[in-house]
Amino acid sequence: MAVAGDGPAAGGWRVSRVSAALVWDPAVIGYKFRPDHPFNPRRLELTLSLIEALGLVDEKHARVVAPRMATEAELLAVHSREYVEAVKRFSAGGDASDAHRWGLGTDDTPIFAGMHEVTSLVTGGSIRAAELVMSGQVKRAFNVCGGLHHAHRDRASGFCVYSDLAAAIAWIRREHGGRVLYIDYDAHHGDGPQGIFYEDPDVMTLSLHESGRYLFPGTGFVDELGEGDGYGYSLNVPLEPFTEDDSWLDIHRKLIPEVMEAYRPDVVVLQSGCDGHALDPLTHLRATTRLAEETTRIVCEAADAVCGGRVVATGGGGYAVWEVVPRAWTLVWAALSGQEVPSRIPREWLERWQGEAPVLLPEMLRDRDEDHKPVPRRDEITATNRRTLESLRRQALPLIRGYGLGF
Amino acid sequence: MLVKKRMTRDPVTVSPAQSLADALRLTRARRIRHLPVVLDGEVVGIVSDRDVRLAMPSPLTESDDRRVAFLEGTAISAIMRGDVATIGGNDTVEDAAKLMRRRRIGALPVVDAHGRLLGIITESDVLDAFVEILGPPGQSSRIEVALPDRPGELARAMRVIGEEQGVNVCSLMVPPAAAGERRMAIVQVGTIDPRPVIEALESAGFEVGWPSLETDLRLGGGA
Repeated sequence: MAVAGDGPAAGGWRVSRVSAALVWDPAVIGYKFRPDHPFNPRRLELTLSLIEALGLVDEKHARVVAPRMATEAELLAVHSREYVEAVKRFSAGGDASDAHRWGLGTDDTPIFAGMHEVTSLVTGGSIRAAELVMSGQVKRAFNVCGGLHHAHRDRASGFCVYSDLAAAIAWIRREHGGRVLYIDYDAHHGDGPQGIFYEDPDVMTLSLHESGRYLFPGTGFVDELGEGDGYGYSLNVPLEPFTEDDSWLDIHRKLIPEVMEAYRPDVVVLQSGCDGHALDPLTHLRATTRLAEETTRIVCEAADAVCGGRVVATGGGGYAVWEVVPRAWTLVWAALSGQEVPSRIPREWLERWQGEAPVLLPEMLRDRDEDHKPVPRRDEITATNRRTLESLRRQALPLIRGYGLGF
Repeated sequence: MLVKKRMTRDPVTVSPAQSLADALRLTRARRIRHLPVVLDGEVVGIVSDRDVRLAMPSPLTESDDRRVAFLEGTAISAIMRGDVATIGGNDTVEDAAKLMRRRRIGALPVVDAHGRLLGIITESDVLDAFVEILGPPGQSSRIEVALPDRPGELARAMRVIGEEQGVNVCSLMVPPAAAGERRMAIVQVGTIDPRPVIEALESAGFEVGWPSLETDLRLGGGA
């Protein structure tokens, strides 16, 4: 069982309780394309059931809060009216002959009945998370079903219909002003929020992902720095295929606090896709569960230092539905809310799900070192990633207003 | 890709009678390296910032005043290259690249049938075009398909991707290989999940490359 209160945790971090909200409503599992589609909402049910089995939600410090529907105005803040009208028409079973023009009706992002409504709920969940954090009711909030970071202003893409992330950021900007730092360590480039805020210096996007040389969406290179007033406010770290925890976390530890200090945002919006895990079938990265847990802590610690600890987190990609996603996002939630977790997964959880699982479920919450097969080209990969980081720091950091002036 | 699509229109020009000082000032102010020399609308020469610098007396032997006087008092016609390599707007960017490589120069004035200046195309324009052609065409994943040197192999691979799998081919490059050797087609497929496409290609007998620790097709040959 989880233990409340202070105490040392794995990796020498001190764990202390932080007020947090988990945004959840079982209705969000309606965001489902096809039974055999890789973006499988079963991963959300598994995550919630693991969080509950570990006692990581309660009535006080770590509450479950229901999402709300995003309003039309909130969608139109980040999507074109034509696009939203098209999604509504497809959602209601109307003529879909122009679906491809909007990036819909593809194998990746098929049309399904009610897609407008359920995506509005997913989007409203991220806005709800932002409301809870910005009103001071909680320090951190986690909309586990959110993180649709490939949705563009007028185009669906890569499993994403509406941009819950951009809508939450736009909501923060409209209601509270200030600056928003968007951090995205999903294995795929966060091209949606980057594109939507490409010319906006009040929203900085930082995406760390497997290089787009091979991986979808094929963007996210260091030289994508923003445009116009937003030049210098889009940051990208394309990682080599087969990057492992140490190299990746080394970059997070150096870059995230540095960017936070330089940009001094008022809140962080964090996309926590866990498809960089070695077992993920869609990518070539080699992280373990340590990446999700430690990155969340790095971000929270930097947020505590710079912006009152405010972090609005979402899920994202994650296609090793049974072996990885529930564990990774449980660790994310525990880190956000400052709760300790035991090393073993409760027996009743394993018994409940093993029958349905097509694979043997891991018994430990965190990956064990001996399960990780080391990558032979590690030194070369680490050196290339370090060069990429230095190239980004050299090009981008001096462009941030006030950088180096000590305020 | 045609030269007229990639050239700079209405480039900065000079006349043969203008001074070297004018030429140097223009290259600095406009951050350019090449100036077509035009007389009555016709290209009669070209001069680069490097040509001017090479013509300048050395600061070790001449005072600054005398160097300035030299620049002000020397006409561009004295140092310009008269035998200018030019290219037409309807020629291809590849033609422009080859001509620049052959003549070892960095820019070509683009002229019409009467020798009138339409624009200028430089090494940088060619590189930009190259980067654009190689760059990913929007949201897609990249795979590499080894094509045996036999008629119909490329068409067969594309049928598997497009018709059998219903996945869009966003761009396709097939760099040349020696006769009899297989060619490595670089295919950008419009999906976040290329696994079904890769499986279908493999079961149709193609070798497919994408990042792998075990076999790295890229190192084996081809592009």
